[in-house]
Amino acid sequence: MARLAAYGNAYREYWRLNYLTLLEYKANFFIWLAFTVVYVGSSIAALWVILSQFRSLNGWDLPQVFFLYALFYMAHTLSNTFFFSVGQVPYQVREGEFDRFLVRPLNPLFQVLTQPGQNWPDDLLVAIVVFGFAAWLVHLHWTLASTALILGAMFGGALIDFGIQLAIATLSFWVIRFDSLRWVVMSLENDFTRYPLSIYNRAVRIVLAYVLPFAFMNYFPATTLLHKSFDGGYAVNPSIGWLSPVVGIVWFAGAYLFWRRGVNRYQGTGS
Amino acid sequence: MKVEAYLEFAKRAFSREGTYRTEVFTHIGSIVLRVYLIMVVWSALYRGNGVRQNVPLHSTITYLVLALLIGLIYNVNGAYVVRERIREGSIAIDFMRPISIPWYVFFDTVGQTGFAVLQIIPALALALLIVHVDAPSSIAAFAAFVASVAVGFVVNFFLDMMMATITFWTMEIFGIQLMVQFITSLLSGAVVPLYFFPGALQKVVVALPFAAIYNAPLSIYIGRVHGVEIAQTLAVQVLWAAVFGSMSFLLWRVGERRVVIQGG
Repeated sequence: MARLAAYGNAYREYWRLNYLTLLEYKANFFIWLAFTVVYVGSSIAALWVILSQFRSLNGWDLPQVFFLYALFYMAHTLSNTFFFSVGQVPYQVREGEFDRFLVRPLNPLFQVLTQPGQNWPDDLLVAIVVFGFAAWLVHLHWTLASTALILGAMFGGALIDFGIQLAIATLSFWVIRFDSLRWVVMSLENDFTRYPLSIYNRAVRIVLAYVLPFAFMNYFPATTLLHKSFDGGYAVNPSIGWLSPVVGIVWFAGAYLFWRRGVNRYQGTGS
Repeated sequence: MKVEAYLEFAKRAFSREGTYRTEVFTHIGSIVLRVYLIMVVWSALYRGNGVRQNVPLHSTITYLVLALLIGLIYNVNGAYVVRERIREGSIAIDFMRPISIPWYVFFDTVGQTGFAVLQIIPALALALLIVHVDAPSSIAAFAAFVASVAVGFVVNFFLDMMMATITFWTMEIFGIQLMVQFITSLLSGAVVPLYFFPGALQKVVVALPFAAIYNAPLSIYIGRVHGVEIAQTLAVQVLWAAVFGSMSFLLWRVGERRVVIQGG
């Protein structure tokens, strides 16, 4: 119990420091906020141009494709807000900076995630606004069930995102450079999730649904929310979107076990 | 200006790039996924809606795949080094050298780009395994395309250079630079061909300087621009290159003076 309180205090302190850096670097905060708006804006603009010329993409119209994007972006930024620094692990292992996490009395992963930096929830705020707009465009009915499903997709999606990032970061305990693999996974996550899964061939669908289940971050919850039980020639289970939190927890648990093995190995060879 | 010295800079940059082999594989490998994505997405769009703007599917795919390939050239961003040198302060030493820094950076970028050009061949070979890319309609059209890419490279370089020069005034340039990159990639036609922009907006984006980077050479290649229009397109590109080039040198002059004055 006392241990848990220690973690709680450390975590609160981490966010307090983040808040203080925000006050100190106000201009930076606005630059990054503007950056996020431009980034999201140009992505949406590209979808808008394409879908105002072509009316639909495999039966998905502009509001629906936009909704798909917004749902993904919300889970992704939730993950980025809380777990962003996991991406620095490969670098820290290579430079020998990781060792200091092992000599302190708190969980190494906890320490990785609470490294001081300019970590602010600016993109999460943008994501929520964008999602609200997308939900309005698709005439989403806000019921208890749909809200629960969206929250489930958001948290489950963030865990899927984080779990996969964690698994990749863990590889750095064995392999020094794997930029190509990271690039492939990043592209699958950021580029391939923009479009409905039904446009891809069998191999890509299997990868995105079962291997690196990015489809559970947005596509499956979206089919459930938008009542697409038959999409592009494929039958989709009408309640599959509810599985997102389960997939997220399972992926995160698996990634965490893998991480533990990696840290143990690192300690074994390091000493 | 001593041309031999600058050509030597380009040559050095070329061989320096050759030492980063793993990055090359990442670059080329990344092409495969994106080519696949282009093929799948645009095939689905055409399948469900038919031909738009009189451009058949194979032309649009050719446009976008070639956009990826010439992106290997444009994305070199050799001007990046200016930002680093201003940040570290080593730009002061560069001022003492008997060379023009913007021209040095330009030729250094040309050298790096020369190496990037070599990546296009394996990248194109990989792309052709996945998707059909149209051959150029004639040798003349292909020559015009190559010339147009070269001018596009100059426009793109001076845009990068202007961004990097802003570092003289503010160090927090990274976010701004990325913003400009996102806007440029949308308005230049790198992600969506400009001929798909709706009505009046299309006229605007085609008239903007960004169109000189991707849209001009690619429209020539797929034959959407042909005959006399090719000469016109090239002339407009050269005009933008001259405008961006002069603005870039002017901005550099002002920034340089600022450093010298502050240095006492």
